Amino acid sequence: MRKFGLNKKLVVALVAIIGSFLLIAFSINVRNNRQTPPIIQQFGNDAAAVVDSVVAVPLNGVKTIGNSVAALENTYQQNEQLKKQVTELGEQRAENRALRQQNKQLQQELSLNHSLTAYDKITAAVVTRAPSSWQNIIVINKGSRAGIEKNQAVMSQRGLIGRIIEVNQNNSKVELLSTKDDAVDRFPVEVQNKKGTTVNGLITGYNSTTNQLIMGQVTNKDAVKVGTQVTTSGLGGITPKGLLVGKVVRVENSDYGMPAKIYIQPAADMTNLSVVTVIKR
Amino acid sequence: MRIAKMRYFFPIGLFLALILDGSLSHLFSAQFFSTTISVESRLVLLWLVMTICTCGDKVKHIGFWAAVAGLFFDMFYTGIIGVYVLILPVMVIFTRWIAQYFAPSFLVTIMIYLIDVTVMTVLSYGIYSFWMTNGSLVAMVAQTLGPTLAFNLAAFVVLYYPLDRFLRRYS
Repeated sequence: MRKFGLNKKLVVALVAIIGSFLLIAFSINVRNNRQTPPIIQQFGNDAAAVVDSVVAVPLNGVKTIGNSVAALENTYQQNEQLKKQVTELGEQRAENRALRQQNKQLQQELSLNHSLTAYDKITAAVVTRAPSSWQNIIVINKGSRAGIEKNQAVMSQRGLIGRIIEVNQNNSKVELLSTKDDAVDRFPVEVQNKKGTTVNGLITGYNSTTNQLIMGQVTNKDAVKVGTQVTTSGLGGITPKGLLVGKVVRVENSDYGMPAKIYIQPAADMTNLSVVTVIKR
Repeated sequence: MRIAKMRYFFPIGLFLALILDGSLSHLFSAQFFSTTISVESRLVLLWLVMTICTCGDKVKHIGFWAAVAGLFFDMFYTGIIGVYVLILPVMVIFTRWIAQYFAPSFLVTIMIYLIDVTVMTVLSYGIYSFWMTNGSLVAMVAQTLGPTLAFNLAAFVVLYYPLDRFLRRYS
C-alpha cells in the first residue's frame, strides 16, 4: 500500500512537470507566431490590469510626489540652461519647418507614399513591471483598441527602449532592450562612419554589467567614431527609420580591421519609465 | 466563524501581494534593476510562508490558490505560462514539509522564508535558462540571489509583526 502511495505522488509530480513544460512550449509558440494571445488569456490580463491599476494608484502617487519634489530642486538651474536653448530652438524650428516642407514636396515629386521615416505615435503609461530579473518586461495601459500591434517599437522620451511582445485589448507587454533573452527580436540600426557613409547592423545583445547595447553583424569596414549617434535604420520594414538608440562608446575591431562589435550607450534610461511612446508605422 | 473569514482574506492577500510585487518593481526599478544588482520582490512568497507557518492547517486549499496565483503571474507579467504555475505550488509543498519539524516562531519563519526565496530564485533561473538567460550561475548568485535575499529579508522583518497579528486574529 505504501509503495502505491509513493508511486501515485511520483506520477502526479511527473504529470505536473510535463504539463508545465507543455504550457511553456505552447506560450513560447504563441509569443513567436501569433499576433495576439488566446481570448481567455486576453480577458484575464485585461481584468488583472484593472485590479492592478486600482492597487497601484496610491503607490504611483507616491512616486509622482517624489519625482515632483526632485524636479523642483532642479528647476531653477534647468530654467537658466533652457532659456539659452530656447533661442536656438526657435531658429531650428523654422529651419525644420522649411526642410519638412521641402522634403514633402520632393517626396511628392518622387511619389513616395510611405517613406521609411513616417510614423504615428501612441502614448501610454507604464502600469507595472515584471518582478523578475530574467525578463525585463513592463506592462503598458494601451492595447489593440488603441491600435497597438505586436512588434511595434517603443520609445521613452529620450530613445528606443524595446518592442511590443504581447497585445491584449487594453494593455500590452513591452520587452525591454535590456532583457537577457537570446531569442529577442533584434532591431536593425545604422551609424555614420568617419567618411560619412552608413554602417548597417543589428542590435545583437546587451551587456548588463556595463549597461551597453552591442551592435553586431556590421556591414562596413570603415572605422566608426566614438560618440556618433546610432539610430534605427528602417530596414526590415517593421521599425521606422531614424529612432534614436544611443551613441557609440567603444568599437571592438576584429583581426582584419573590421568593426566586429560596436558598443552603444543607450539614450533611454530603461529603469525609470513612467510614460512611453509606441511607434506605429 | 473565524476560519470562514480567512477563507476570503487568504486569496485576496495573495493577489494583493502579487500586484504589490509588480508595483514595487516598477516604482523602485532604478534601485531594483541596476547594472550591478537585480532584486526580485517576493511578497507573494512571504504571504504564503506566513500563512502556512502561522495558520497551519486552518486555511484550506493553499496549494490550489498558489497555482492560481502562479498562473496569474505568468499571464500578466511574463506571458509565458507554466513557470510560476509550477513553482508556487512546489514552494507550498516544500514549506509545509519543512514547517512540520518546527514550532512556529519569528526565527523559524525567517529561516524557512530565506530558504524558500533561495530555492525559488534558483528554480526560476533553472526553468528560464532552458530558453533564455545568457548569464552564468555565478553571476546569478552575485547579482540576483544576494540582493533578492537582502530585500526580502528586510521586507520580512518589517511585515512580520503586522502580518502575524492579522493572521492570528482571523484564523
